[in-house]
Amino acid sequence: MRYRVTSIALLVGSVFLVALVGPAHVASGFAREGARQAVQVVEISAERFSFNPSEIRVKAGTPLDIRLSSEDTMHGFHILGTDIDVELPKRGRGVTSVMFQPGPGRYTFECSRLCGAGHSFMRGVIIVTE
Amino acid sequence: MPSSTVENYLKAIYIGTNSLEPPQRLLPMGQLASALNVTPGTATTMVKTLAESGLVEYEPYAGVALTQAGQKLAALVTRRHRLIELFLVQVMGYSWDEVHDEAEQLEHSVSDRLVDRMDAMLGRPEADPHGDPIPNAEGLVKPQKVQTLLTCPLDTTLTVTRVIDQDKDFLRFIEQHNLKPGEAISVEERDPAADSVRVRGGNDRRLTIGTRAASKVLVQAVHLILIVLSAAPVFAQQTSTRAREQPRTALSGYMDFHFNNPEFSDAQLDFHRFVLLVTHSFSERIRFVGELELEHALVEGLEEKGELELEQAYVDFLLSRSFNVRAGMMLMPIGIINERHEPPVFYGVERPFNDTVIIPTTWFEVGAGVHGEVGRGWRYRAFVVAPLDAGEFNAEEGIREGRQKGAEANIGRAAVTGRLEYVAIRGLTLGVSGWTGRSGFQFRPLFDVPVSLAEVDGRYSRDRIELRGQVSQVWLDNAGRLNDALALRVGVNPNIASALRGFYGEGGYRLISGASLGDVGAFVRYENFDTQFRMPAGYVGLPEFDRDAWVVGATYWPDPDVAVKFDYSIVRNRSTVIQAPNSLNVGLGWWF
Repeated sequence: MRYRVTSIALLVGSVFLVALVGPAHVASGFAREGARQAVQVVEISAERFSFNPSEIRVKAGTPLDIRLSSEDTMHGFHILGTDIDVELPKRGRGVTSVMFQPGPGRYTFECSRLCGAGHSFMRGVIIVTE
Repeated sequence: MPSSTVENYLKAIYIGTNSLEPPQRLLPMGQLASALNVTPGTATTMVKTLAESGLVEYEPYAGVALTQAGQKLAALVTRRHRLIELFLVQVMGYSWDEVHDEAEQLEHSVSDRLVDRMDAMLGRPEADPHGDPIPNAEGLVKPQKVQTLLTCPLDTTLTVTRVIDQDKDFLRFIEQHNLKPGEAISVEERDPAADSVRVRGGNDRRLTIGTRAASKVLVQAVHLILIVLSAAPVFAQQTSTRAREQPRTALSGYMDFHFNNPEFSDAQLDFHRFVLLVTHSFSERIRFVGELELEHALVEGLEEKGELELEQAYVDFLLSRSFNVRAGMMLMPIGIINERHEPPVFYGVERPFNDTVIIPTTWFEVGAGVHGEVGRGWRYRAFVVAPLDAGEFNAEEGIREGRQKGAEANIGRAAVTGRLEYVAIRGLTLGVSGWTGRSGFQFRPLFDVPVSLAEVDGRYSRDRIELRGQVSQVWLDNAGRLNDALALRVGVNPNIASALRGFYGEGGYRLISGASLGDVGAFVRYENFDTQFRMPAGYVGLPEFDRDAWVVGATYWPDPDVAVKFDYSIVRNRSTVIQAPNSLNVGLGWWF
């Protein structure tokens, strides 16, 4: 039993260790991007079955230029509650650009083209702050 | 008011940076000097002055980009230029190849009032005669999906949207060959050896042009409108257009066709998997997903050939990004392959051995649970499902035959399973997952067989590289009593272990990426798997079940959704009597 508990603890621990290093790397790159542009450009890569980044923060009033590309098959990008719903071509076949300037709030986006067994997990959020 | 020289520099930087491929952000000084027809030294001196004025950001030896203020000024100069060009063509009867020089002069002298009147008179146009987008009065541009004749899909009807060269001779060439914005064309063939592209226009006329000219003609799929610009602050004021109506019911699928040639036996051709996926959206928040799989092509009577399986059939209640509810037949969230098994997304003809004899993919079961994503890339799933049936376990394939598969599944004591994933770093997925349940319902109340599985995996995929690794272990309590009970039932002791363990590491690299004929990748994988890793007291593990394997091979993707695969697997075990067969495998898999 002790052997089992130790094994599980090691497995879980290794995931968390890498995860703790991650957010600083992502957040710093994002801040640099936003500071110098009137339009905040965000590059999102889509692959089965996640968008990356999946959480985007923007200040109200700053237009968001979302540039989407796929790493594998064709995906969709739909911001719930809006008319924004575009197709992302397959890997290597181009970048899709969407301009979005919403008011304050949280906007969930999702893959809108059936892309495989985990299609429903492909979701993200745009958080617009005052 | 900025001088005309300042405006010309800002406009050149604006146009130059807009043509850069992400992630490149800075326009090289050489490129800027060339666009303005000045020496690099002259350009650098001017750019430094602009940087002092706060209009540009200059990084020596790297290049230049516009600041927020510079961006706005540049966009407005560009707006004036393009509106004047359109005005000259539409109102004054100029030809589209003679307006650029006139607009170069006029753009610095017309007033904002005059420009606004021209804009209104022309009906608030979105593009100039060459298809270049016209920024609005705030300096914002509706983004376009940019594809050139070199990158667009073949044999697809497209509309010319833009010509990105203002040279008079080039524009006349475009006009003479009916390639102006608005024309419907398709690209039939690209010949890299001859640097040429064959285009089919209206009335099936063919034209072969050089790749340099082809790179200056931008096109857009006829059905796709990717111009989406919303007006703050509320959605009701958006000017956006939905690109296409989503079908409420959609059909997809994947297929897998294999040639397997193992040692010590004859080769086989096997249509391994024919899988159809169907999804139906009752609303944005309620969605059905189903997956029906025919394995090995044939299901006939009681013969052991193929299987017809309902691998997924669930309804998702998508309440929010962070909390959603799922119920029905669903995949266990364990490991890399079980939930992500479409043939083009993994190397190798067959799935890893670890994902067959340690984790019994495709592992699906009936149940219900929750899933979601919180924060920056933390995902979870937690399901209550029917347990495994320990009465079907065996030594060679571990717990695999114990899957109840939702067929009148015993749920006397439910199992629980879950996964935590971290996906915030681009290209990287880290996961830890587990499953635990009491699986001895055939033997209760005499004894039970608690089974637990723990797994950790990582996958990194970026550009040409793909790396993945996975470690998993299964624990079975009361394995000794299970063996005794099964020996009484069938007359042979099945020698089931108290622990199974496996791990693998794989590295893949796309040797050819982005070529018109497709991608080619090579990979190598090392696997270690032992279905008798720990034995119950009084039992000895058989060395033939302690195995490792090297698998090397390649994949050719003529299309991102089609994979032609081959590999050779070298399998070894610890037995000196029974040899594990090596195998040559060739496969064709696709997704649609």
